[in-house]
This record gives sequence, C-alpha cells and structure tokens, in this order.
Amino acid sequence: MDMVVADNLAKVFPAPDGRDKRAVDGLSFVVGEGRIYGLLGPNGAGKTTTLRMLSGLMTPTEGRAILAGHDVAVDPELVKRSLGFLTANTGLYQRLTGRELLIYFAQLHGMDAQASGERADYLIRWLSMGDFVGLRCGAMSTGQKQRVNIARALVADPPILVMDEPTLGLDVLSNRIILEFIERERDCGKAIILSTHYLDEAESLCDKIGLLHNGRLVAEGDLQSLRRETNRQRLSDIFLEIVHAAPTTGAFAS
Amino acid sequence: MILRRRVQTIYKKELIDILRDRRTLIAMIVVPIVLYPLLMLGSVQAVSFQGDTLEREKFLVGVVSDAHWELLERLIRSDAQRLEQARQESAEDPEDGDGPVGLVDLAESPSPYPDRQALEQAVKDREVQVGVIFEHEELRNGFNTRNPVTILADREEVRSANAAGRLRRMIGRTGERIIERRLTDLDLPPEFVTPFSIAFVNLSARSSILGQILPLILILMTITGAIYPAIDLTAGERERGTLESLMVSPVPVFELIVGKFLVVTTVAIMGATLNLASVTATMWFGGFDVIVADTEGGLPIGKMVIILLCLVPFAVLMSAIMIAVCSYARTFKEAQNYVTPVIMAVLIPGGIAAMPAARLDGVMLVIPVGNMVLFAREMLLGAPVSWWQMATVLVSTSLYAAAAVSIAATVFGRESVVFADAGSLRTSFSRRLIKPSRRPTITLSLLFVAFLFPTWFFIQASLAPGPGEDAQALLAATAWLMPLMFVALPVVVLFYWRISLTETLSLRMPRRWHLVAGLLIGLSAWVPAHELNVLQSYVLGPPASLAQSAELLGETLSRMHPAKVLLIIAIIPAVCEELLFRGLLLSGLGTSSRKYTAIIVSAVVFGVFHFLLPKFAVTVALGLVLGYLCWQSRSIVPGMLAHALHNGVAAMSVLLPKWSNGLGIPADLGWSHFPPQVIVGGLALFVAGCLLARIKASPHSDQQ
Repeated sequence: MDMVVADNLAKVFPAPDGRDKRAVDGLSFVVGEGRIYGLLGPNGAGKTTTLRMLSGLMTPTEGRAILAGHDVAVDPELVKRSLGFLTANTGLYQRLTGRELLIYFAQLHGMDAQASGERADYLIRWLSMGDFVGLRCGAMSTGQKQRVNIARALVADPPILVMDEPTLGLDVLSNRIILEFIERERDCGKAIILSTHYLDEAESLCDKIGLLHNGRLVAEGDLQSLRRETNRQRLSDIFLEIVHAAPTTGAFAS
Repeated sequence: MILRRRVQTIYKKELIDILRDRRTLIAMIVVPIVLYPLLMLGSVQAVSFQGDTLEREKFLVGVVSDAHWELLERLIRSDAQRLEQARQESAEDPEDGDGPVGLVDLAESPSPYPDRQALEQAVKDREVQVGVIFEHEELRNGFNTRNPVTILADREEVRSANAAGRLRRMIGRTGERIIERRLTDLDLPPEFVTPFSIAFVNLSARSSILGQILPLILILMTITGAIYPAIDLTAGERERGTLESLMVSPVPVFELIVGKFLVVTTVAIMGATLNLASVTATMWFGGFDVIVADTEGGLPIGKMVIILLCLVPFAVLMSAIMIAVCSYARTFKEAQNYVTPVIMAVLIPGGIAAMPAARLDGVMLVIPVGNMVLFAREMLLGAPVSWWQMATVLVSTSLYAAAAVSIAATVFGRESVVFADAGSLRTSFSRRLIKPSRRPTITLSLLFVAFLFPTWFFIQASLAPGPGEDAQALLAATAWLMPLMFVALPVVVLFYWRISLTETLSLRMPRRWHLVAGLLIGLSAWVPAHELNVLQSYVLGPPASLAQSAELLGETLSRMHPAKVLLIIAIIPAVCEELLFRGLLLSGLGTSSRKYTAIIVSAVVFGVFHFLLPKFAVTVALGLVLGYLCWQSRSIVPGMLAHALHNGVAAMSVLLPKWSNGLGIPADLGWSHFPPQVIVGGLALFVAGCLLARIKASPHSDQQ
C-alpha cells in the first residue's frame, strides 16, 4: 500500500514584487509500507520544503499530498496523527525533562495520562534513555537530545516517518543509534522518507532514491537502476553526474 | 467553561515550563516581593530624610543693604519669640512646622549686593538661596501704609524654594500679629476682618492617591506580567526550534493559542496579585497607609479586592493583545520591538481614562483599556456603576480579547512567520497572493465586529437624543450609516480578501418553505418577545429606560410618513443586520466552531450591538432564531423577511394602536401578559415557523 503519495506537488514562495520563486516544481513520488525513500539533492534543491509540505507545515501551492490515505490540505489533523517528524534542528523544551516531554506529545496525540506514561516508559527502555530521561532537556548532550527527539517522533507509533537530516552533527555512536532505529522502523513496516546529505547513509538505507535539483525531480529509482543509467558505482558519483547534467537535460527522471 | 482536554494539556505543560524559568520567577516573585518594598521604603526614607535635612539646613539670604538685613533679622527674632510664647501657652508645637525658634540661627546673610539685578544673578547662580528686598528700610506701622517685600527665589531649586516658603510664612505670621494688635487697639473683634468663616467638609470616600494612581499601576503590573510569558510562548517557541514539532502535532492552532493565552493570563494575574499584595503589605507594615487611606482611615483592604477582581478581565485583554502581537515575531528581540509601541498605545487610553475629568459614559464605555481603567477607578472611588455600564465594559473587553486571540491563532504558526524563506508577513496581506476562499476566517469576522463595535457605539451615543429632542437625527443617520458600515464595509473587506460574497453572505434564493418559515416567525415573534420582556420584568423590574426610549421613538415615528417608517425601522435594519450578523459573522464563526456555538455567539453579539440591557434577552433570542433560520436555509433571505416583518409589526403597533386593540390587547397593557388567545395564536405561528425552519436546504457538511 502506498502510504505517501506526492502528486505534482509545487510550492511557490511569493514576493510582493511579483518575482515568485518555485521552490518545488511538479514533484511526484510514492512511498510504500516498509520502504525508505531517500530524498537527495544539493542545498536549495527543495528537499526541506517538500518534507514540510508532506507534514502539513506548509501548504502546497499546487498538487496534492496524500499520507495514509488523507489529503494534507483537507484533513491536516488526520495526516498529523499518522506522521512522525524528525529533523536535526528540532528543538526540545529546555525546561521539561525527557519523560515530561514525551508524555506531553503523547497527550497532544490524544492519549490519556496512563497510556501516555506507558508509551513513554516503553520508548525510554527501547532507546536506552533511562540514565538521562529525568534530566531537563537543556542539560542533555546533543546525542541524548536526538534520542529524545526520536522518541518524540515515535510517541504515537505513526505509520509514516518524515526525517530531515536526522544525523546532522551527531558523533559516530549517536549516528549508529539513529541508523539502527531507521532500519528497525522500516522492518516494522513503516514508510520512511529520509532527506540527507550523507550519501553513504542513503546508499545503505534507502530502497528508492529521488534526486531533487532546483525543485524538480531529476532522477528516481533504486541504486541499481541509477548505477545503470549513469555508469557510476558510488552514489556520490551518481549524484554529481546527475546534478551536473540536470540543468541541460533533466533526462534521468523516470 | 469546560476546557477541552488538549487545551488543558497545553495549559498544564506551558505553565510548568514558564514557572521553571528563572526570568519569569524573578519578574513575578522577586521583583514584587523584594524590590518593590525596598524601592518604596528607600524612596520614602530618602524623601523624609531630605525633608528633615532641609528643615535644619541653614540658608543664605541675599539683601541689597545692611538695613534690609537688620529689618529681616528683627522680624525673624520677633517671630521666634511669638512662636515660643505660643508654644508655652498651648504646650504644643505650632502647626506650620517652623518650630519654636522660627528661622533664628538658620537664615544668614553675606555682604549686601549693590542692586536688585546683582541679587537676582546671585540667586540664579545659587550664591544665596533667596533674596529679600524691602521697599522701605524701616517697618511702617501706620493704618494707611504697607510694607512691600519682594522675595527672589529659584523654584526649581529645592533649597531656594524651601527658604522662600519659610520666609513667606514668617512674614505672613508677622502680618497677622500686626492685624491682631491693631484690632485690639481699636477694640474690634477678629471677625471684623474675617466676615466669612469657611468650613470645608470633604464627603468623598476616595483616597486622593489611591483612586488616581492605582488603576494606572494596575495597567503596568498586568502588562509587565504578560510580556515575558507571551514572548516566551510564541516567538520563543520559534527561536528555540520547538515550533515545528508542535505544529506537526495533531492539534488545531486555535487550541494551541487558547492554551498559551490562558497561561499568559494566569501568569499576568499571579504577577499582578503578588505585586498588589506586596505594595499593600509594604504600605501596611511600613506605616504608609496614611497616603492611601480613605476618609474613614485605615488601609482599604476591600478596595484592594476590587482591584483584583477588575484585574481579571484586564489581564485577559492584555494577555490576548500580547499573544497576538508576539505571534508575529520570529525572535525574542523582534517580539520586544513589537511590544514597546503596543505598551505606549495601551498607556495612552489608560492615561486619558486616569484623568480626573474622565467619566465612565459615552464612548469611554467601549474604549479598549481606557474603559477598564475607568471602571476600576469608579469601583475604587465607590462611585455608582450601573449594571449596564458594567456589562458594556466587560462585554466589549471580552470582544476585543476574543478578536486578539483570533488574530494570534491566525498568525501563530503561519508559514510566513515560521519559515523565513516562505515570504514576509507583508506577503500575507498582498491581495495578489491571497488565495480565493469561500468563507471568511473566524479571525476576520471577529476582528471586523470588534472594530465596528466601538465605532457604532460612538455613533449611537453621539446621536442619542438629548432632553426635549426627538429621535429624528438618530434615525436619519442610522438609515445611511447602517448600509455603509454593516454592508458596504464588509463587502469591501470580503472583496479585498477574495472571499466569496455569495457563500459568506448566503446570497441564495431560499426554498419556499423557508420563506414561509420566515413569514410565520416574522409575523408572530412580537408575541414571544413581549412575553419574554414581561418575564424579565418579574426579575429585573419594569425597564424604565426601555419604556422611555419606546415612547420617544413612538413620538418621532408618529410624525413620519408610514412608508419612511417601514424603510428606516424595518427594511434597512433587517437587510443590514442580517448581512452582518447572519452573513459575515455567522459564516466566519461557522468555519471554526460547531453549528450551535456559531449561532449562539452570533446571537449574543447581535444582542450586544443593540446597546440596551433590557432589550438584550429579546434580541439574543431573536438572533438565535434568525441564525438558525439562516443556517438551515443556507440563505439570508428568510431571515431578512422575518426580521423586517418583526420590526415592521413593532413599528405599526406604535403607529396604529387600533390594530392591536383589534386583537383584544388593551392600549395600556404595559408590562402585563397578552390575552391568552394572543399568546396561544402567536406562539402557535412562531413554533410552526421554527418547525418549518428545521428542514435543511442541503447538507452542511462543509460548515460542520
């Protein structure tokens, strides 16, 4: 089942002087259950804007985004119930403890006090956060914060995960924890959209890769098909090949 | 009000979060409990110390000749002797505070100055504190002579002003003694020169300082309490990077904002309460209660309670304004920049209202902030405040607060505010970039009504007929201003925001049965309306103001052509009020709230806009029926028909009393029930109309 359907999505950033910018332009892709879709591209390609549209933070100017069968523009609340959103820049409430934060977000998802407490305790055990979850978030290290963030994104056990640079700035150990978590969630049948600049991560994790450039999808496919089309082995070489070719040809989009 | 669970969750979390913040605690607890008492005690001690020092301090008196100084010294010594004598006789110090020795040993003089000009310069240069010039070098004591004395002083310089005051009092005392002696010589009583004996009794219960300054302090306390949490919970959320995770939670923005607004209100009230308690305690234990005590003496604790009660609606309004303003900001610093002009804007009406001449009537009843300051002041001073005044102030304040919260809900989390690359706030208001929509948001509707409320109130108040005048000017102005403000202005707003006029104003042809429903309701609503008024009069007594206004209106209408009466009383209000209340307002409310909530709120606002407390219940009831009719029929027309007929029947009953006599209604009915046959017949038609209105025109799924 297609859990995420982006259908001709476009986002125009308006300017009063009339020189509007098309940050995302006619983007279409689908992500099924238990699949990881890698959204790659250089800075300013439109990755973050796409993820924001999918998660209901931004309204698409054109096209539709359907998540778990709900149109973001029509049923934003239902979409948000099905969604876990995680970025490297997501802040935490500095004056709440990790556990308080998890319970808060669980209750925002409609869980009662008992259910939210049980869910928080489960995630604390699962992500080995027992040592620091009683600290206020302001006193945690970057890696600890990111683990709390992961737990926050999973607090309602959503079927879709949207992740924007989740490993940015993390040390090797924390990085490993995040990658393992992504694989585990994929194995649990979740549909995952992953945007990253670390191409080796994308190479090892993603079932399908979409390359964005200037707001357009210039290439899409699994690693094998991209290798065949570009005659390159490593994803970084494939990336450079496609990005350099894109302004003139745009030929790799399938 | 039962808060939704998610709002409670947000409220609880935000309150814990904000109360754990050191800056909040310092602003809310440390400042009032430690700093204010210290400042107050310190400043009072400093003033007292300065006063004592001045009284004991020697001062230099400049003169233009040795003879002038000798004369002055003689006067000082003579005054001191008399003061000492008086003290011994009465065993008390004289009341003027100059002590038994007067200015002896306090006033000294340097070498005389050559002329007045040099002496003036010496006072300006502060070589001497005061200059004294006698016209005559000797004291002249004849009945036809005077002894002009010029005192030169610098009033801006405290020592100079003090010395001049003491010298003036001393010379005044000496003059009084001379008069006394002359009267004794002539064997005349003191009454000879004082034909009047004036006794001034102050009957005001007010304390001079309390009533004037406390409402203003109230403003500052509440604003201070609201600023920091408002910034922290809005702009702070974005700056810390927590806004994205909050916005992807399945919670409507309105609930988020309501939860945050309630926290800001709570903190503002807590902070202001602590401030007030601290000030009260400082005055009590510091012995400063004299400066705020009322005429009965003692600290007015009861009045402090009144202030606290006034503080709640005030805190609600200020918190709503602060949340709305701070929601526009992306950073703490930006929010602080926005808040400063708002504080200034709030202080202006607050300051005007604090002026002694300001009164709680007319347009002041609906001036945001100003009305609350005046209300608090009148309550403090024990001035009579009617239920009508209280209701107007509280309802208008609530309306402004609701509009501000709605603005916050629209702005908070908006793309252009959250993400710098999604354009500026300016782009949100550019018509080219506004997407066409079917109905206005609740914010736009409430904002328009909140703007219209004081404006319409001002127009009505300024045109209200004075004693001996008829209501013709009011009716004429209403006839052309109502279409302008209730119809033309909303149309312009809807056009600018590219909102469908047809959808918003329900400009559709209705089904036949809805027209029949409107007809039945319009023809019969006067019966339940009158009966409701009668029932209300059992509780509140016969409304004299309503009877007076009805009488005045009747007199005016009787001099007008019936067609003109129907146009002004029935058709224009029906069309205009329906388009505003059941069009713009109900549509806007319907986009974010449930059917009956939207109908009830629009009906209450409709009632409030009639500005007459005794008519409130009836207009709200009529608003409920008309709102229901419009919602069910999805057309504005049946409501307009019912409204016009209802108003028309009321006008005709005034113009053609025989018409009502024909139904067996006595001419002098007053506040009694209608005859049973009229009640039964009227209610039957009314209920039939309401039942017909129950039929739905088409599914309202898009409005639910």
